[in-house]
Amino acid sequence: MNLGKVVFGFFVLLALTLNFGFFIGDIDNPDHHNVYELFAALVVGLIATVMKLGERSQIGAVLLASSLVVDLHLIAAAVIWVVAVHVTEVGLTPAVMASIVSLSGGALLANLLSVVLLTMETSSINR
Amino acid sequence: MNAVLFLFFQRMRLPLITLITAYAVATVGFTLIPGVDDQGEPWRMSVFEAFYVVSYTGSTIGFGEVPYEFSQAQRLWTIASIYLTVFAWLFGIGSIIALLQDPTCRQVIERARLQRGVRRINEPFYIVCGYGDAGALLTGTLSSRHQRVVVIDSDRQRIDRLTVEDLGASVPAFCMDAREPAHLIEAGLRSRWCAGVLAVTGSDQTNLKIAITSKLLNHKAAVYARADRRATADNMRSFGTDHVLEPGVEFCRRLRLALTAADAFRLHHWLSSGPHASLPGTQMPPRGRWILCGYNPLGQALHQTLESLGVDVTVIDSGTEKENNLLPPGSVLGRGTEAPTLEEAGIRSAAAILALTRDDADNLSILVTARELNPKLFLAARENTGANHLLYEAAELDFIGRPSLVVAGSILSQISSPLFQTFIDLIEAEENEVSARLLQRLGHTTDEGPPQVRTVRISHRRSPAVSRALDHGETVLLEALCRDPRHRQALLPVVPLLLQRGDESWLCPEPDTALESGDRILFAGPPSAGPQLDKLLFMDRALRYVRTGEDHPEGWLWRRYRDHQNSSRSRVQ
Repeated sequence: MNLGKVVFGFFVLLALTLNFGFFIGDIDNPDHHNVYELFAALVVGLIATVMKLGERSQIGAVLLASSLVVDLHLIAAAVIWVVAVHVTEVGLTPAVMASIVSLSGGALLANLLSVVLLTMETSSINR
Repeated sequence: MNAVLFLFFQRMRLPLITLITAYAVATVGFTLIPGVDDQGEPWRMSVFEAFYVVSYTGSTIGFGEVPYEFSQAQRLWTIASIYLTVFAWLFGIGSIIALLQDPTCRQVIERARLQRGVRRINEPFYIVCGYGDAGALLTGTLSSRHQRVVVIDSDRQRIDRLTVEDLGASVPAFCMDAREPAHLIEAGLRSRWCAGVLAVTGSDQTNLKIAITSKLLNHKAAVYARADRRATADNMRSFGTDHVLEPGVEFCRRLRLALTAADAFRLHHWLSSGPHASLPGTQMPPRGRWILCGYNPLGQALHQTLESLGVDVTVIDSGTEKENNLLPPGSVLGRGTEAPTLEEAGIRSAAAILALTRDDADNLSILVTARELNPKLFLAARENTGANHLLYEAAELDFIGRPSLVVAGSILSQISSPLFQTFIDLIEAEENEVSARLLQRLGHTTDEGPPQVRTVRISHRRSPAVSRALDHGETVLLEALCRDPRHRQALLPVVPLLLQRGDESWLCPEPDTALESGDRILFAGPPSAGPQLDKLLFMDRALRYVRTGEDHPEGWLWRRYRDHQNSSRSRVQ
């Protein structure tokens, strides 16, 4: 067992689960989507990105790309949240919430791809 | 470039993760700690406000306590987050600095920079392996002739010396072992612009490895390799090395020439000893008895040459090398640096002495002692390192043999003209008289430095103007190419040395030879004559002017005007 692989897999998977936890629920209901969960998903996503940096393999490159997509989506979602609540002060209206959650949905897809790729790589090593 | 980036990210992984974690912890902490707003109501920061506070705290900017004055609990957390984030930053920046200072990283960056430099070369270039005396001379001369050069040497000091030298053009200098094929590829061996590889290191084994690597990995590049030993030279020739340069053989050749055809020797030595060569004096080695100090491979070869010419030779050798049991009969054991040994070898009745040991101090000592014993001696020595050249100059010898100069000079002549070797072979076969006449003509043309040789080929690509004239059925004489395109009465200071047509070659072709397509002509002249010769080869107008004396404008408008004038003139008539 390789501790490095464990940590790496842990963060990739955690990014997906946190992302899913934020995404699940009514799309326009602010009560179903916790700000801390978005924050955690973003932080874990960033850490996963850094861990993928410097990977020379082909699959490493795709993993890094999907991770960057995740970060982009989640940062966009966070910016919308901040703008709605603190800058324009319209608050978390259903429309705002829906766009935040749909962005995190995009991130979820990319996270899913990361996990699938990681699983494929692992299984190909075992064979 | 990629290697640098990967190395950077691999090393920066931990610092970056530390930084992200520190920020995340500090931000979450601020959102959880209760505070009080300006109305005295309990209040907690949103994630955005917390991130704002952490951002300016972490970067040590410090705007104070916004948006409301902090509670004591919040202040406690501020202290914690300051230490957390500031140390995370220090760790990150420290890692970057450590990375930049790291020798591995610096090497990678340097290599990447050099490789970019090589890739960016989009003209033919030569790879010089070994920046010793020969390598330095080759690099300097090729650069001054606007040829691009890439240098490889495993010695850091030599590379540093090259970097501070002003060569006019940028010369990528790799500090690595040229024996590794990967290193040669890195230096551009596989590039389509690689014109040749010059293996001029001091070690035969290295040169051999470079030669075979170059031949296998790039069959188009010409390989010039130095070989000090006969066996290495044969080995190199066996796999098709284009030019094998054996300083020993070359010295024997020149010695033989000097003893048999003095002017041929002077011509050969002048033309193929690099850009700083001076015409050797007319004083030639005498044919009396010779003394030869140092019976190493070079000594043996020269000994053989002298014997074959019927010259009486006495050998002095210390006998420490394993060849001593092969010493010819009548040899004297000893170093030759002391008077008794020299006396024993009969220095007073000898005509010439050759100091060929591998030690420059010994050589000089031998010669100075010998001169004291017999002032009329002809003194010749082998110079082992270029650094000692000043000493040899000061000793005022009759002939100084410099292996590195011979190697570099031969390579330079062959690079500037592939016909040069044919010319030298022909000259050696000819009477001395031919060389004497050539020397006289060349002496007129050059004020300083030896003449430079170049090959002119009559073809559509290399000399379009001449080719077009021939296509129109006109006759172009060789003499036309020797005229000045500015004043046709004046002659360019160039001398045609050789004309090659098919398999036939003519030495010193006559000026009224009619040129044919496919001819190759070897010219010698000062570097300044090159551009004028180019004009004749490329510009129809210049060529027509020197041939006929008519100077017609070339442009479309002028041609129309001239045609108009001609037609109106004929109408009047």
